[in-house]
Amino acid sequence: MRRYALQRGLTAVPVLLGVSVLVFSFIHLIPGDPAVTMLGERATPEKVAEVRVRLGLDRPLWEQYVRYVGRVVRGDLGVSIVRGDPVLTDLLRRFPATVELATAAIVVAVGLGIPVGVASAVWRNSVVDSLARLLALTGVSMPIFWLGVMLAWFFGVTLRVLPTGFRLDTGTAFVPWTNFVIVDAALQGNWPLLVDALRHLILPALALATIPLAIVARMTRASMLEVLSREFIRTAEAKGLPQGAVILHHALRNALLPVVTVIGLQIGQLLAGAILTETIFSWPGIGLWVYESIEARDYAIVQGTSLFIAVIVVVVNLMTDLLYAVVDPRIRYD
Amino acid sequence: MRHAMLTLLVAVVLQLTVGSALGQTFVFGAQGEPVQLDPAIITDGISSRITRQVFDGLVRYKGATTEVEPALAERWDVSGDGRVWTFQLRRNVRFHDGTPLDAASVVWNFERWWKAGHPQHDNQVKAGQTFEYWEAQFGGFDDKSIVSRVDAVGSHTVRITLKDPQAPFLANLAMFVFDIASPSAVEKWGTEFGKHPVGTGAFKLVEWKPNQEVVLEANADYWGPKPRVKRVVVRNIKDNSQRLGALKAGEIHGMEGLNPEDVLVVKSDPDLQLLLRPTNTTGYIAFNFKVKEFQDKRVRQAFAHAVNKKALVDALYGGTGLVATQFQPPSLWGYKRDLRDFDYSPARARELLGQAGFAQGVSEITWDDGKREPLVFWYMSRSRPYFPNPKEIAEAMAADLAKVGIKAQLQTADWAVYLDKRKNGQLPLYMLGWTGDNGDPDNFLCYFFCSPGAPREGFYANNPLAEVLLRAQKLTNQAERAKLYRQAEQMLHDDVGRLFIANNQPPLAFSKRVKGYVPHPTGSEYFAAVEIQ
Repeated sequence: MRRYALQRGLTAVPVLLGVSVLVFSFIHLIPGDPAVTMLGERATPEKVAEVRVRLGLDRPLWEQYVRYVGRVVRGDLGVSIVRGDPVLTDLLRRFPATVELATAAIVVAVGLGIPVGVASAVWRNSVVDSLARLLALTGVSMPIFWLGVMLAWFFGVTLRVLPTGFRLDTGTAFVPWTNFVIVDAALQGNWPLLVDALRHLILPALALATIPLAIVARMTRASMLEVLSREFIRTAEAKGLPQGAVILHHALRNALLPVVTVIGLQIGQLLAGAILTETIFSWPGIGLWVYESIEARDYAIVQGTSLFIAVIVVVVNLMTDLLYAVVDPRIRYD
Repeated sequence: MRHAMLTLLVAVVLQLTVGSALGQTFVFGAQGEPVQLDPAIITDGISSRITRQVFDGLVRYKGATTEVEPALAERWDVSGDGRVWTFQLRRNVRFHDGTPLDAASVVWNFERWWKAGHPQHDNQVKAGQTFEYWEAQFGGFDDKSIVSRVDAVGSHTVRITLKDPQAPFLANLAMFVFDIASPSAVEKWGTEFGKHPVGTGAFKLVEWKPNQEVVLEANADYWGPKPRVKRVVVRNIKDNSQRLGALKAGEIHGMEGLNPEDVLVVKSDPDLQLLLRPTNTTGYIAFNFKVKEFQDKRVRQAFAHAVNKKALVDALYGGTGLVATQFQPPSLWGYKRDLRDFDYSPARARELLGQAGFAQGVSEITWDDGKREPLVFWYMSRSRPYFPNPKEIAEAMAADLAKVGIKAQLQTADWAVYLDKRKNGQLPLYMLGWTGDNGDPDNFLCYFFCSPGAPREGFYANNPLAEVLLRAQKLTNQAERAKLYRQAEQMLHDDVGRLFIANNQPPLAFSKRVKGYVPHPTGSEYFAAVEIQ
């Protein structure tokens, strides 16, 4: 197991190097002089030249890359071009909001997706199944930016039962300990804060959960159908076990493996989806931050965040692989 | 037990669904996050909206006009030759940190902006920041600047000496960039001052939550009329529709950045009001004078008669646009009201093209070096106040041109590339515009037409026009200057140097409960008079 983890970890190195090349080069791939873009319509040539020197854009490409990797390895993601603040510090401060949102979305996706998928498989071709499949299809096809706006307008503007955006009401006092508002509220026993945070979390989490929910439901259904047709299920049923036990202990347990893979793969999608969701709901995580930085052409932030997200996706996939052994004890890594 | 659970559930649901009251807080929805809050360094409207509440300048703009009125300076006079300005400061004014505002602190601010060697200037430059507007408005730093001396000649008297008279001097000083900061706070925070701004303004900074909101609190010791609300919160909502949603839901009281198509939504909502910012922005079409066809004035006149500006403004500006007849928007004092614009007349346009030898129309152009290529009309890839829907506007104009036989292909480029190509004079025909900084006509006309033949301006060279503009720049008498600017607009019109298409009055939306918000052409408003009923 340990050896496998090590091997698996080592394969991540070339992936990350590849990502670093990509992330490094996009500043040069997109058209236009970054210095001009940053400074805008009124910049003088001297100013542009000055900024080019400051960003190191006047050096040869390979040298820029080597310097870049050297800094990244030391944990230095550079400083924001627009604001001058260290990227890593700001990134870490904003990341909890994104984790909170993504976790809520995963909880919704898994918590609803697996039961829906199981029900769909058990009552195959029934009304329940058709309905579930229709919902799943709608879910995967619905663009987040559209769904998000609709949710906010329906629940926020028309019904006025939930806020249209933000993480907290204005004026809600919050002393950050971990920067995870829900965790902090629970730790501090601050119930109004917890309620406020949950109210704000519902809509963005729903918007972000839709696609993974649909995918998890479909995957669970397909996998369950396959397992349900296997002989050991017939044996279990023949033994006279109650149906619930057969489905939960025998079928679902065996059907979960591909579902876990899919959930692992969804993390990358979730972080990408968070950019749209956070922007629509003014959720102060790294998604909104990246969006603003792209607009402001703050390359340092965009590069730093892309790299950070890539590392997370790689780590999550690694963890998913290791999780197989937990889900399915028959799997051994040696 | 079951009962208790149900009660609890209902209680939780109820709590979850009841919004909070806003009380004496004015919540404004902004389009983005401030860059920072040091007025001397910022250049953007989102940041300056906040610094305007925290700081005051020596002078300020009056109401919704670009005329100048006293602020920290109670009065001033200027020497006969227009070079020496003496300002009498208001007494008993304190910065938010308790230090007094006096002549020494004002001189300190000027030296920080002006002298590259000043420690609080140098540290910013080393951190990659620039004092961009000082450089632009006052000619540069140290010896390059038009300012030659700034002295404290009494405890509350400041004398500023210029090398040459500068006509827009007071208008420049009223810009948000030249608001006065507390010297001791700047020295305390250094390059972090932009996160801890300290001025004399009507509101003090309470907290800036990154990517969320900036919270301000009324300054009880404010020297001017006391603020009407206790708190101001400026929330960052990127998406235009979501911002309007937040306004309709009552989560914010006012907002900027309305989609043109949402103007009607606001107008038809009984709880909302629409305010228009007085126009300070002009969108134009520019010709490249290295293109032989455009060197013929009759061809340029044909363009002017071909474009139906009124139809375009009516259809694509959500009712907030105005037809432009000249470069200056009507809010400027140099505007020429009696300028007679070209009529929309496709027949006249065809006739002019015929006279110029293009009876068959124009679909190809010839550059000065003989290279021939199809005519391309470049449109902006980004929305700007003067052209809120650049693509649709360009399509409408191209359709108008096609009606008279001018067949242009539409093309765009990434914003940076677009600006680059424009600066290097590579675009044959393109759209762009300008938003004024300080309400002075010089800021519109001279930037574009004082250096004849510049590649940036499509090599347009009108020397007599440049002379008039440079002459106006040296005068201090506004009436005399206005005469020259009106003359300049007429010259520009007669030569059809450029086609001026539209001015826009950017719309703002507010709850009907908000009173006293006066939109200003430069985009920086004071919130002190804002009330919530």
